[in-house]
Amino acid sequence: MADSLKNFRSICKKIIAVGRNYSEHASELGNTVPTKPIIFMKPTTAFVTEPNDIRIPADWDELHHEVEFGVIIDKQCQNVSKEEAEASIGGYCLALDMTERNLQNELKDQGLPWLLSKGFDTSCPCGDFIPKEKISLSSSVNLWLNVNGNRKQSGHTRDMIFSVPDLIAYISKYITLEHGDLILTGTPAGVGPVRRGDLIEAGMEGEHDLKYLMKFNVA
Amino acid sequence: MAGTLKNFRSICKKIICIGRNYSEHASELGNTVPTKPMIFMKPPSAFVAPPNEIQIPSEWDELHHEVELGVIIDQQCRNVSKEQAEKSIGGYCLALDMTGRKIQDQLKKQGHPWLLAKGFDTSCPCGDFIDKNQISLSSSVNIWLSVNGKMRQNGHTRDMIFSVPDLIAYISKYITLEHGDLILTGTPAGVGAVKRGDQIEAGLNGDNNLKYAMKINVASK
Repeated sequence: MADSLKNFRSICKKIIAVGRNYSEHASELGNTVPTKPIIFMKPTTAFVTEPNDIRIPADWDELHHEVEFGVIIDKQCQNVSKEEAEASIGGYCLALDMTERNLQNELKDQGLPWLLSKGFDTSCPCGDFIPKEKISLSSSVNLWLNVNGNRKQSGHTRDMIFSVPDLIAYISKYITLEHGDLILTGTPAGVGPVRRGDLIEAGMEGEHDLKYLMKFNVA
Repeated sequence: MAGTLKNFRSICKKIICIGRNYSEHASELGNTVPTKPMIFMKPPSAFVAPPNEIQIPSEWDELHHEVELGVIIDQQCRNVSKEQAEKSIGGYCLALDMTGRKIQDQLKKQGHPWLLAKGFDTSCPCGDFIDKNQISLSSSVNIWLSVNGKMRQNGHTRDMIFSVPDLIAYISKYITLEHGDLILTGTPAGVGAVKRGDQIEAGLNGDNNLKYAMKINVASK
């Protein structure tokens, strides 16, 4: 099963993303901390991988970067408990939730769905599959992101409001999670704009010398 | 290519839905008519087809039904014009956009995304593939829905605010549409509640004696 997960981006049927899962990030956008996870989707056409570029849609000027810890599902699961949730995980990855922030704010003000601001092509720059055994959920992973060499975001997965098992249990109550599905688990503080010509570098570090890096140009 | 589209529900990678595309439906929910299409998604895990049943999530009491004309993409398309859009179509289907209306209202008030209200398992009851040549976009299709034998919705695709080519052109500006993808093109007036144990029947009628109907139950507890 884990072999096909190396190609998770090709078999993935849905990307479920979680909003406001780090309290500092909630406050920086003037939002309250949620009592339940805030969930939305990106279509799989959002994936972009190195060496391809993040492309800002023609009528927009900038996007916001959001670096996130991704969880890839192996075993299909529906209505699982927090305790059972870890057994469904196949692996992890580093990903970005690129967002058109001005549009998202307009959509929020009008009570409209977020898809346009969150789901455009290349809104999910995504790294390679990291096998489950390389990361223990009981330890913290450090996530960081630079724009043009300047550190913008730096966070730790231990600061997530809802843990990975919490998220899997919550989502799977309503939506069956399938082999190859990706969950983006939220972003730490430090989100900000990128424009055409900028270079994003992002990485994560964890125990046992875990180190993953990726770079994307913004076109 | 069209051979695989018979199984579009198995290959489909996304269901893109349009809100408020019939003006009477916009007003019945107290909403204004949009100047651009309002788009949201359901995941493919939302599909359900008879004889399986619509499952209301256990903590909710009811769902709202919304009958829609579905458009199935054949040729991958990105940034296509209205004029080119029809070539990308592989076929059509009848589908329902089942909605947790109370949840949706709360989410809207808070400016939260709609996924929970629109994307739960069985929120997309979906009929079989109807070949492209059975429906001409220049003619109107009647779509209807009844609950326990009483008619609730009865609309005509000519009343759509944004046409099918408009929608394909708009969506494909931002999101590549792929072979097997499904677009739900909005619902006419008459949306309302169904509870556990109810039976929904829905259908579409078009030119050249086109007739499609389906029945689906809302599961009892």
